[in-house]
Amino acid sequence: MTTMNKFSQFLVALAAGLTVFVAAWFFMQAGHRGSAPAIAADAVAPAAASPAKAAPVDSAKCIMPTEYMRAHHMQVLDKWRKDSVRKGNRTFVNPEGAHFDKSLNTCMGCHGSNPMFCFMCHEYANVKPTCWNCHLSPMEVPQ
Amino acid sequence: MMKVLKPLIAVIVLALIPYVGITYGKLDFVFAIVIPYASAAILVLGMLFRLIDWIRRPVPFRIPTTCGQEKSLDWVKTNPLESPSNPFMAAVRVLSEVFLFRSLFRNTKAELHGGPKLVYGSYKWLWLGGLAFHWSMLVIVIRHARFFFETLPLPVELIEMGDRFLDVTVPAFYLTDALALAAITFLVLRRLSDEKMRLLSLSTDYFPLFLFGAIAAIGISMRYVTKVNVMPVKALALTLAKFGFDAPEPIGVLFYVHLFLVCVLLAYIPFSKLVHMGGIFLSPTRNLPNDSRAKLHKNPWNPDIKFRTYAEYEDEFREKMKKAGLPVEKQ
Repeated sequence: MTTMNKFSQFLVALAAGLTVFVAAWFFMQAGHRGSAPAIAADAVAPAAASPAKAAPVDSAKCIMPTEYMRAHHMQVLDKWRKDSVRKGNRTFVNPEGAHFDKSLNTCMGCHGSNPMFCFMCHEYANVKPTCWNCHLSPMEVPQ
Repeated sequence: MMKVLKPLIAVIVLALIPYVGITYGKLDFVFAIVIPYASAAILVLGMLFRLIDWIRRPVPFRIPTTCGQEKSLDWVKTNPLESPSNPFMAAVRVLSEVFLFRSLFRNTKAELHGGPKLVYGSYKWLWLGGLAFHWSMLVIVIRHARFFFETLPLPVELIEMGDRFLDVTVPAFYLTDALALAAITFLVLRRLSDEKMRLLSLSTDYFPLFLFGAIAAIGISMRYVTKVNVMPVKALALTLAKFGFDAPEPIGVLFYVHLFLVCVLLAYIPFSKLVHMGGIFLSPTRNLPNDSRAKLHKNPWNPDIKFRTYAEYEDEFREKMKKAGLPVEKQ
């Protein structure tokens, strides 16, 4: 009897855990959907104001060394998104003191000229970024 | 204490070998090409050696361990899974053991409660931890196919999508990464936390756990924290997949530690308890149908006994028997 009780306890615990898990996932998904318009609205306003804020877009060279960018670009972009969209902080200062606009357009200033720039490596490494779920990829932008 | 420390030190020393070799020796080719092939060869040949050795052992009689009534008379209720009567059900039983660890589900623990009272209780945590560990390891290994294939096969892609469905963090967080780490931690603590388990555990029990732990921790670190350039890693994986010998471009040293520990693990499998991954299929107490009452099983190594019939005996000694006055059947 006791073993059966323990087993049913275990099943109940498992069911409860699964319920919490599914609920958490559901709310996260709901949260994503709810916040999507807000992000769009936020993104429009600072973009319009950015030239006035005098954040020079120095697109002559990359924000960081190539080696660093190869390994860390996804973390940089993720951080930029959080900073600019959620905190409104749109200026990135690199170790050399150069200022950049925290925007995908900063990258596209140079890298957009090659429509396959992102695609080549990501396809090769079988990595599918989520950038192009919202943004236009260089492949989709008319040259 | 030494039983825990020795394997821990062994793993640390093993991790330092590629670190020193790459940083100071510039031995990229050795660690990227030579050692992976060598360890793969040791794995394949070692497994073949062990499995062929086991297959060749004769198993003349049916010796399955059963937990149910075997098939006999029609009115006796049988348990076809726990006491399989045909090869198909025996295969189902082996596979259910492989995929679900049914025997671990029956695991019990014995504890002394206040003096001379020995109490047995159900203990499912080992089953759950083992299941979590093995399944996450399988998913992680399958996920690594993205390095070895130029285009990802659809099943692998589906598994990968399911693994990252939480869709948090960049790079996407994999559920199995956390599961594997949690399970390894539990499996180590399980051995360390209980007095009986500490006594029973050997350094060969801790070594694979520490090795898996180190491989997983370094892999996770490379994905989320320290980062390495993936391009030369992919190039190296493709080279290895088509048995090429091109030296890779420089990759972070952490990658070589990861790779070397994996190589050690592969080479270690055939000569350790990890060989259970092949042995489980050849275990005669599991893979035989329980049909000793239904079929006659002859011992294949019964010696070939030379029989001599009475007729032959009489043929040889007939004249002598007649002289001695003994009766003979044939005149």
